[in-house]
Amino acid sequence: MDQLRLTEYLKRKMPHAREHRVVGLKRISGGSSRETYAFDLQWNEGGETRTRPMIGRRDPTGGLLKSDREREFKVIAAMHRAGLKVPEPLYLELDASVMDRPFFIMHRASGQTGMGAFPAAEAETTRAKVADDFLGELARLQSLDYRECGLEILGAPENPEAPARIQTAHWAEIYERDRMGEHYPILDAAFAWLKANPVVTDRIVVVHGDYRSGNYLYDENGIIAMLDWEMAHLGDPMEDLGWASMIFWGRDELAGGLMEREAFYRLYEAKTGHRVDRTRLFFYQVLGNAKMAAICLTGIRDFVERRTSDAVMPFLELLLPALFDDLANQLRLV
Amino acid sequence: MLRPTLNELLGGMQRTILEALMPELTSPYAQGQAMSAIGMLAHAAAVLEAAPAYDAAEIKDLRATFAALLRLGNKHLARKSGLRGALARATRASAKNPADRRAMEAAMAEFAAAVALGSADESVARHVRAYLRRNLDRSRNLLGASIPVA
Repeated sequence: MDQLRLTEYLKRKMPHAREHRVVGLKRISGGSSRETYAFDLQWNEGGETRTRPMIGRRDPTGGLLKSDREREFKVIAAMHRAGLKVPEPLYLELDASVMDRPFFIMHRASGQTGMGAFPAAEAETTRAKVADDFLGELARLQSLDYRECGLEILGAPENPEAPARIQTAHWAEIYERDRMGEHYPILDAAFAWLKANPVVTDRIVVVHGDYRSGNYLYDENGIIAMLDWEMAHLGDPMEDLGWASMIFWGRDELAGGLMEREAFYRLYEAKTGHRVDRTRLFFYQVLGNAKMAAICLTGIRDFVERRTSDAVMPFLELLLPALFDDLANQLRLV
Repeated sequence: MLRPTLNELLGGMQRTILEALMPELTSPYAQGQAMSAIGMLAHAAAVLEAAPAYDAAEIKDLRATFAALLRLGNKHLARKSGLRGALARATRASAKNPADRRAMEAAMAEFAAAVALGSADESVARHVRAYLRRNLDRSRNLLGASIPVA
């Protein structure tokens, strides 16, 4: 992002203010489906100087996901209106001429994050608070009426069987598109199994789509904001729970590095008032591993075909053995 | 032998990034990318060395597995399952010189799917599972078993 163009853009968006200054603009890691920039905006309003920390998220030239930033912005806005812990969305710009590619600006929440499981070195009290918030926020998300939130734009599944079929078809298509002619027997088998064993949901909720440790900001008081809403859609509540509790995000007994897996499910039931359906949970954990493998293949293909120069992309190959291991165990392929 | 060798070049590029470029980079994002590039070069060096043996072992194992499945005979391959066709394609692919690895893996994918769906005969499933176990071991040896870390 260019500092001068960004300043001019924010001037137009905030005509009531004067002396706009973008300070400390820098690209940061994380959120691999968008280029992410951190900066402070300073301005003068009514004779008073104000500062606000901000994040700019711009469409990448390539990367992990092909997602729609307008949809992501609208979901974050709906979650913010509903009182969920999300960064306040500020401006959405779809005109690519402003900053070369579409982007949006949101408030920059404080706190820290990791890449995967909750850090083992953190204090036990922090872990407990984050775990409680993690499932509390998920329960609040799943209690929302998507129509009241204005999220019919996400496309309501036509019947209770549709969510499993839609998600399976979506990720199978991405695998087909991005496998570059290679066959991964375990992944092929997983998609065959998913197509043959669709589950039926008991209700349709807003699904975050990437609800896991690593996608929130936290401090010693718990979660500050849930991030990365670009895969949000309407579907089965077991999808987010299954994804969040995949062995992949931790590889030990703690779901997401947060809490012993069975206790995690019990707390989910207590927070939501809904039973964990083990058959559906298992289905979405299989789908989760297959989906993550497909996401890795997308990043690798974009790197190989020069749509991205992000040096992290080729390392996605290193994640595949663990995902295939989990799928092979789940489907009794070994 | 031409010097520097490819491996020596890759090692040299890592040192150039680390010692000459990194100190000049001020942005944490650029520093992170440079570190990833160093990792990429280290990975390339390791794969360059190990990949030929990995590919050879993979093809040898696929050939042996399909030969064992062929020896089981058609009575173990239900006509409706499509596995007879997959085995015929795999046999043709493995007879080529060089073997058509992709076609063999495509056929193995059909067998793996049949095992996952419970539509494969148990003696067939035993061979397929044994192959997949060895395949996973080889992949782990080549690539490790990484997971996202905090």
